[in-house]
Amino acid sequence: MEGRAVERVVIVGGGTAGWMTAAALAHRLQGLPISVTLVESEEIGTVGVGEATVPHIRFFNARLGIDEADFMRRTSATFKLGIEFRNWGRKGDSYIHPFGVFGEEIEGVPFHHLWARFARAGGRDPVEAFSLPVLAARMDRFAHPDPDPDSLLSTYSYAYQFDAGLYAAYLRAYAEARGVRRVEGRVVGAPLQGETGFVESVVLQDGRIIVGELFIDCSGFRGLLIEQALQAGYEDWSHWLPCDRAVAVPCRSDAPLSPYTRATALDAGWAWRIPLQHRVGNGHVYCSSHISDEAARDALLGQIEGEPIAEPRFLRFTTGRRHKQWDRNVVAIGLAAGFLEPLESTSIHLIQLAVGRLLDHFPDRDWDPFCAREYNRLMDLEYERVRDFLILHYHATERDDTPFWNQVRTMQVPDSLAHRLETFRKRGVVVNYRDGMFLDASWIAVYLGQRVIPETSDPRGEVLSDAGLMLRLASMRDEYAQMASQLPKQNAFLERIGAHVG
Amino acid sequence: MSGDAAVTSVAIAGSGLAGWLAASLVARALPDLAITVTETPGPDRSLGVTTAAEILLPDDLLMLGEAGWNGPDLLRECRAGFLLGTALTGWRADGAAAFMPFGEIGAPLGPVPFHQLVSTQRRRGEAVNLANYSIGALAAQAGRFAPPPPGDETAHSALAFGLCVDTQRMAAMLREDALERGVQLTGALSDADLVIDASGPDSRFAGAREDWSAWFPFDRVASARRSSEAPPPPYVHCDAHAAGWQSFAPLADGVGELFVFASADAPGAPPAEPFAPGCEVAAWTDNVVRIAGAAAQHDPVSGLQLHIALADVLRLIALFPATRELAAEAAEYNRQWREQTDCAFDAALLRLARTGARGAVWDRLRASPLPERAGYRHDLYAANGRIVLHDGEVLDEAGWIAQFDALGVQPRKGDALADALPSERIAAHFAAIRQAMIAAVGRMPPYQALLAQAVA
Amino acid sequence: MMGAGPIRKVVIAGGGTAGWMAAAALARLTGNGVTEVVLVESEEIGTVGVGEATIPPIRTFNAMLGIDENEFVAATQGSFKLGIEFAGWRREGEAYLHPFGAYGADIDGVKFHQVWLAMRAAGLPLPLDDFSLCTTAARLHRFQRPDGNPASPLSQLAYAFHFDAGLYAAFLRRHAEARGVVRQEGKIAEVRLDGESGFIRALALEDGRVIEGDLFIDCTGFRALLIGEALGSAYEDWSHWLPCDRAVAVPSTRTAPLLPYTRSTARRAGWQWRIPLQHRTGNGMVYCSRHISDDEAAATLLANLDGEATADPRPLRFTTGIRKEPWRKNCVALGLASGFMEPLESTSIHLIQIGISKLLALFPDASFPAHERDEYNRLTALQWAQIRDFLILHYKQTERAGEPFWEECAGMPIPESLARKMALFRAAGRLFRYEDELFTDASWTAVMIGQGLMPERHDPLADTLDPREVRDLAMRMADAFRRTARAMPTHADYIARHCAGRTM
Repeated sequence: MEGRAVERVVIVGGGTAGWMTAAALAHRLQGLPISVTLVESEEIGTVGVGEATVPHIRFFNARLGIDEADFMRRTSATFKLGIEFRNWGRKGDSYIHPFGVFGEEIEGVPFHHLWARFARAGGRDPVEAFSLPVLAARMDRFAHPDPDPDSLLSTYSYAYQFDAGLYAAYLRAYAEARGVRRVEGRVVGAPLQGETGFVESVVLQDGRIIVGELFIDCSGFRGLLIEQALQAGYEDWSHWLPCDRAVAVPCRSDAPLSPYTRATALDAGWAWRIPLQHRVGNGHVYCSSHISDEAARDALLGQIEGEPIAEPRFLRFTTGRRHKQWDRNVVAIGLAAGFLEPLESTSIHLIQLAVGRLLDHFPDRDWDPFCAREYNRLMDLEYERVRDFLILHYHATERDDTPFWNQVRTMQVPDSLAHRLETFRKRGVVVNYRDGMFLDASWIAVYLGQRVIPETSDPRGEVLSDAGLMLRLASMRDEYAQMASQLPKQNAFLERIGAHVG
Repeated sequence: MSGDAAVTSVAIAGSGLAGWLAASLVARALPDLAITVTETPGPDRSLGVTTAAEILLPDDLLMLGEAGWNGPDLLRECRAGFLLGTALTGWRADGAAAFMPFGEIGAPLGPVPFHQLVSTQRRRGEAVNLANYSIGALAAQAGRFAPPPPGDETAHSALAFGLCVDTQRMAAMLREDALERGVQLTGALSDADLVIDASGPDSRFAGAREDWSAWFPFDRVASARRSSEAPPPPYVHCDAHAAGWQSFAPLADGVGELFVFASADAPGAPPAEPFAPGCEVAAWTDNVVRIAGAAAQHDPVSGLQLHIALADVLRLIALFPATRELAAEAAEYNRQWREQTDCAFDAALLRLARTGARGAVWDRLRASPLPERAGYRHDLYAANGRIVLHDGEVLDEAGWIAQFDALGVQPRKGDALADALPSERIAAHFAAIRQAMIAAVGRMPPYQALLAQAVA
Repeated sequence: MMGAGPIRKVVIAGGGTAGWMAAAALARLTGNGVTEVVLVESEEIGTVGVGEATIPPIRTFNAMLGIDENEFVAATQGSFKLGIEFAGWRREGEAYLHPFGAYGADIDGVKFHQVWLAMRAAGLPLPLDDFSLCTTAARLHRFQRPDGNPASPLSQLAYAFHFDAGLYAAFLRRHAEARGVVRQEGKIAEVRLDGESGFIRALALEDGRVIEGDLFIDCTGFRALLIGEALGSAYEDWSHWLPCDRAVAVPSTRTAPLLPYTRSTARRAGWQWRIPLQHRTGNGMVYCSRHISDDEAAATLLANLDGEATADPRPLRFTTGIRKEPWRKNCVALGLASGFMEPLESTSIHLIQIGISKLLALFPDASFPAHERDEYNRLTALQWAQIRDFLILHYKQTERAGEPFWEECAGMPIPESLARKMALFRAAGRLFRYEDELFTDASWTAVMIGQGLMPERHDPLADTLDPREVRDLAMRMADAFRRTARAMPTHADYIARHCAGRTM
């Protein structure tokens, strides 16, 4: 390459964002004359709410050559088949949004059309009776999917629930072993070059200066570089997703390890439960204008299953995203880029996506504006699409028992989401994008789980009578239940594959 | 059920290829419906323009296969020729010919896409012809062809082919199928729950319209069918000239010719069919859904008229109204149709507006600024070789790359990490690909033999 | 007076459906070259014509007469009937269909409806409708006659007709007159009885003509000039079981789609019928005058037409009941003269038909032996009572609330024969068909289930079947019926192709 290459990458901030970026860069840039330096301060705690993930993380790990069992042991990880949503459509409801599809096509008609018709005709089996991962999750069972496409066990995927701090440490070891230089220190300034306004370096509290060409801002909500130095600006989405605080506390548990996350809707927000091998992570995401910090903490403590093993920790945030995630020579990744509550475990995925896109659009020192422009276009779309999916969970509710739920149930939602809801409700059609992390199956799981049942179905299904449909579904249901009950318990499976923390 | 009655009757306005395509596919998908087709007299403009031959893309063949129309039937009934891509002459500033193949070109090296490797080498001074790494292009060049084997492990697996069909023969084939399935031919449009308007740009259901003549200067089309002794080659040949372009599409026993030009730039040209590019503001209003040429009249340079007609029909089937209260289906249909229309607009415009073709009309096109969406696509590719993909694309990523590259658009930069790869490494990668492809092509039979066998 | 030897002259008093059905059937008697059959009717006296829907046995009647079905349907502007839809009878807003034919097929000797009940008990609430080819086709507005192939699911299709009763009478008149029946135009002024025996000797017409005869058939309608007025046969009143006593009828324009079934819609104090024909739709309201006035009933009817009324509403009064002796001395009453039950299950024409077939089966000679007459009366009484019970079921088993008429019906005492049947079904879904009764298990099941009378248990033998096999069989049955129905042409298309009505 002729002398215009970026030679020095500086990552500001550790945690999951910083070390995922460092590890990925270390792997990808191996053999190239590009140095990667990560500056973090042990003084600054990392947020670590993003402890549940989506299946894409497995490809991230695999590309880095990470062994699953080793990684799970070192991060106290459990498997994740999906997320259980309690009390979202109505109080008392429970549905699981799995990593997998429901049922199978019959006579060329997508399953959910037929299930909706079955439900309207009086069929009593819930749609989750037709999901192997949901049935398995509810029984605390897990096994790896079967690669054979003809097997029912090939129809689902999985992710992990892990200690984000331990994952960051794991990736730190990986990255440092591949040449990433870690600098302990606190960044207090980022001077800009006079003409271009580009960041020249970061200045540490002890006076050291770290020079670089490409800067990656993983400094969290503060956005030391992207916001404090470059003032990119923030697009605030609180009117759609009004929760603005969280309180988190880990606790002990003797329960069998469940292979799913739980999100329980409360009076003015929701509580997560993320079971790891050595503890359960709990948190309450809430809207401060509807509930006080103390009441939120008490509500959380009131519903955890065991002894707290640390003091509850509070966080404040504003849901939204940076106007530009890549501005000049700074790319914000993680919380510095924006925030969406972890309702669908998207935080780590958005980091992974950002890192991947950065590598796809890796700049040189000509700083072609089209790199940042296209990167931003793609990331903006992704954030909006996740946002809309999260809004759906709040808006598609029948709850009217608190002012918070009345607000979210009646609020004006983005036009594209309103169109989606209407199209599914009327006709069972899933409006979806070409790209985006949530496939049709995810939208279907949340629609049906939150009681958005299509009023009409695909007319091609009329080839079946209601009786014929009910009988087919009965056979399917029995087959799925039988397969699910044959899977091992997660505790046993972890031991079997050597992923159990001794 | 909401209480509204089901849609039980469909009236299709227009008996051209689009109308019979709709009749046949809808009758197959929903055999309960009472379907009628009204004749439209005169030449078949249902796809937007009158043509002798139309193109089915590789994906279209898959879709038709799922609907029950297999390749051998299409070949035989529609006097079809195989298509491996399009050969271009007269389109590049350097005067060279080019080939736009179907399917993937080359293979990535780790995470680096092939076309970025090409960009890296070219900026290092190496001349690289993209088509040399397309098994379809190599086969076409060698006059050989064989459909790819099942599985996707070999060099041959990357070969993607389409079909070039005789427009009238295909319409007749679909008509026969539709009539066999109980579709009725009527003289006058009957009262029906749903009307499918397949009557082309002269539709009586035309509503508010967007006119694209400011972007597309070509307003005359002439088509002809010419017989030939030996089957023409397995690709469309598209040749640019001073006032427009002409294309030659290969049928089993002849050639479909299309002459397109701008009347302003060809005053002495013989009379030809007028053509007005544009589209309806909405395809589906009330209970009338306009498809193919009745909904949008795209410039025929992309050759996507039949693809779009098929996409419209399949979309309608997927969104077929469950009841006569069909507003939800119509809204979603219109949204998807609009995305497709926008993407097809961009594909055609970029195919015409940023080329090296010689002539006043081409100068004017080059000098005009592009509208924002198409402009961004072009500018991004010209900057660093990346392809924007919206939701309703008619070309896939490989198709866009093939188009830009064939027309001579050279990105200023590529993938910065690819630029760090040593030249020898990339060259070795290229050589291995080419070697495997040439060996695979060598094992294929001559194209003419395969065609003769297929229509036997 | 009792002579000896064969009946030489049959006199049918009155035309309309009853008279001409009798004439057509009895025309065969003239084949011996000796017997005469005469029908006396007056064009002045209008016919009632509410009986425009039928049930499958009529096909046997037509076949016996050698009538071509397509010709008959075309001549009567008729349409096909797969069953009756009862809208609102159980509850307002709900409807069920009582189809012809059977539900499913017995499995290993276990009745299908028991298998169905067992599947419900096991958590599979399958709609019973999907196991009736007639219901499936009816709901899709389709029709096709079986093709004679016993293996095809189409062989399960049973059907009857809707037709214009006046045109049917005219059709049968042509048939009868062509086979030797003589029609005499005239109005009956007097029925002359024999002084000693009390038998009818002759009918004296207003114009002075006298028609003598051996056997007299009274088809003079509600007036029952012969059986009632002249012979004094008493009428058994059933109004306490079936309280409706009036009707009002009005034709309306045909609408699309042409339905292959009759509709009966429950209303505030009675019910409304809808009979689809080729040239019009027949509508009427049957009601109880104690609960609604004539004006209100007519207004309700007119307000609930799906087409335009094409005539003024025509009122009718009746008393539900039966002639205690429909055959008295040498007179047999048919049609309204023999009794009346509301057309809720399209039985009016059927009752004429079975009256005729019983008469033919018990045809007397001129000595008029008592045992034949007694047997005729006994069988008639039995068959009428069975049908009556079936009709009462529809009313008794209602869940309609807030309407005095229906509440009265729900609370009314019912015949013991019906109470026994209902109790047996309610307990464990058991049904028995007694003594050749008209309505099959399937019909009783359709109405009992449709009206919400669900059995508490099911036949334990159903539980001995392999559940997986049963589900498989049931699925194939439902699939086959669905597929077969969807392959049929629409009812309207079928008629257009085979038996389109001609204006006479």
